[in-house]
Amino acid sequence: METDTILQIDDACIAFGEDILFSGFCLQLHEEEIACISGQSGRGKSSLLNAILGFIPLRTGRIIVNNILLEKATIDQVRRQVAWIPQELSLPSEWVKEMVQLPFGLKANRSTPFSVDKLFEYFSELGLEEELYDKRVNEISGGQRQRIMIAVAAMLQKPLLIVDEPTSALDPDSADKVLAFFRKQMRKGSAILAVSHDQSFAQGCNQMITL
Amino acid sequence: METIDISYASLAIGLLLLIIPLFYLWKFKTGLLWVTVIGVARMIVQLFFIGVYLKYLFLWNNPWINFLWVIIMIFVASQTALARTQLKRKVLFIPISVGFLCSVVCVGMYFIAVVLQLENVFSAQYFIPIFGILMGNMLSSNVVALNAYYSGLKREQQLYRYLLGNGATRAEAQAPFIKQAIIKSFSPLIANIAVMGLVALPGTMIGQILGGSSPNIAIKYQMMIMVITFTASMLSLMITISLASRKSFDASGKLLEVMREKRERNILY
Repeated sequence: METDTILQIDDACIAFGEDILFSGFCLQLHEEEIACISGQSGRGKSSLLNAILGFIPLRTGRIIVNNILLEKATIDQVRRQVAWIPQELSLPSEWVKEMVQLPFGLKANRSTPFSVDKLFEYFSELGLEEELYDKRVNEISGGQRQRIMIAVAAMLQKPLLIVDEPTSALDPDSADKVLAFFRKQMRKGSAILAVSHDQSFAQGCNQMITL
Repeated sequence: METIDISYASLAIGLLLLIIPLFYLWKFKTGLLWVTVIGVARMIVQLFFIGVYLKYLFLWNNPWINFLWVIIMIFVASQTALARTQLKRKVLFIPISVGFLCSVVCVGMYFIAVVLQLENVFSAQYFIPIFGILMGNMLSSNVVALNAYYSGLKREQQLYRYLLGNGATRAEAQAPFIKQAIIKSFSPLIANIAVMGLVALPGTMIGQILGGSSPNIAIKYQMMIMVITFTASMLSLMITISLASRKSFDASGKLLEVMREKRERNILY
């Protein structure tokens, strides 16, 4: 069955001044696929994600997200195609119930309103207890916070889900649950791009790319 | 009822009271003794200077000169705001000048022409104090708000980028920081309004009663002054942030370097 290309990167080069992080990078990610980018620290993995989100420009090459070429005029449009979870996300919300609703207040996400039932459904798949919803953010662990935000990102139902180090704070059991969760989301039609050091996570993906 | 003048001799006797606070500043080695002495000396010189030029403003009572005074005050206030926020001139100067000018003109003129219904809207007796109090309050509340806005953006970059990356418009991504700036800047004023008159007589009323007004008139002016300063401060802040934001972020929405290089704290401002 033909699936759409959700993310296409052609001949990308990211450099800061004289320092070239990588060049000639190509990637094609389709609907119902997970790609994992791994590599040593400092090789530009997070910079690549930042480039897809329009935060840093490519030195050369181009990025196309859901058939929209990324350029100055289309940055906002491209970002609306994406649900993004940065690494070690720390938001200034006091309560978990505030934190999970942050992206749902945006105009771009009006078509997918927040639903506690959906959130709890995803919590259970990710091995999280419903009680966490009523807690303060500083009462939950980094790993719990990470999984909660993964659930939130999935609820946004965007064509492309970008996640930076989804299992860095997790034990192997929880990491497996996260991979299974992503595979389930993928089968529902999402394209997922992850950056991860975790070899067992990377091996569970359709594409493994090393930078 | 004319106000009693204070002769220079009486002024000197009054200034002697400062011995009390100066003594404790010295006793506890606060390091503020000379700053205070210099500050008081500056206050005396500055107020005498202001007294002279106000005398002529009132004497001439010329609309063009009064308006020129407003322009000069806006320039001085914008400079002061630059110094107190340490923001770059090219980011803040024009936005805050426009913010001050639009607010002071709209709100000040609304009060003088529509509320007071003065025949001569440029009459110095009303024009100068009203515009003066608006400028002073706008400056102090906007400085607090701008500091909160930009320091919030710098500190909570993760939140800002998270919102942008997940589809927020620029305005939506800036909104939580504008919210914090408003709360920080206007909470004291709002709390003040709620207890106005309960704890102490507010400044405008004191001035009017000392000047011979009946308390009945004084309270109405006090209410109006609170309303117009609140409105002008909020309006100028919104205009300033809206204009300054254009120079504060790059094309991808990233916060630019908006602070000036750190220099020694200038006590002049």
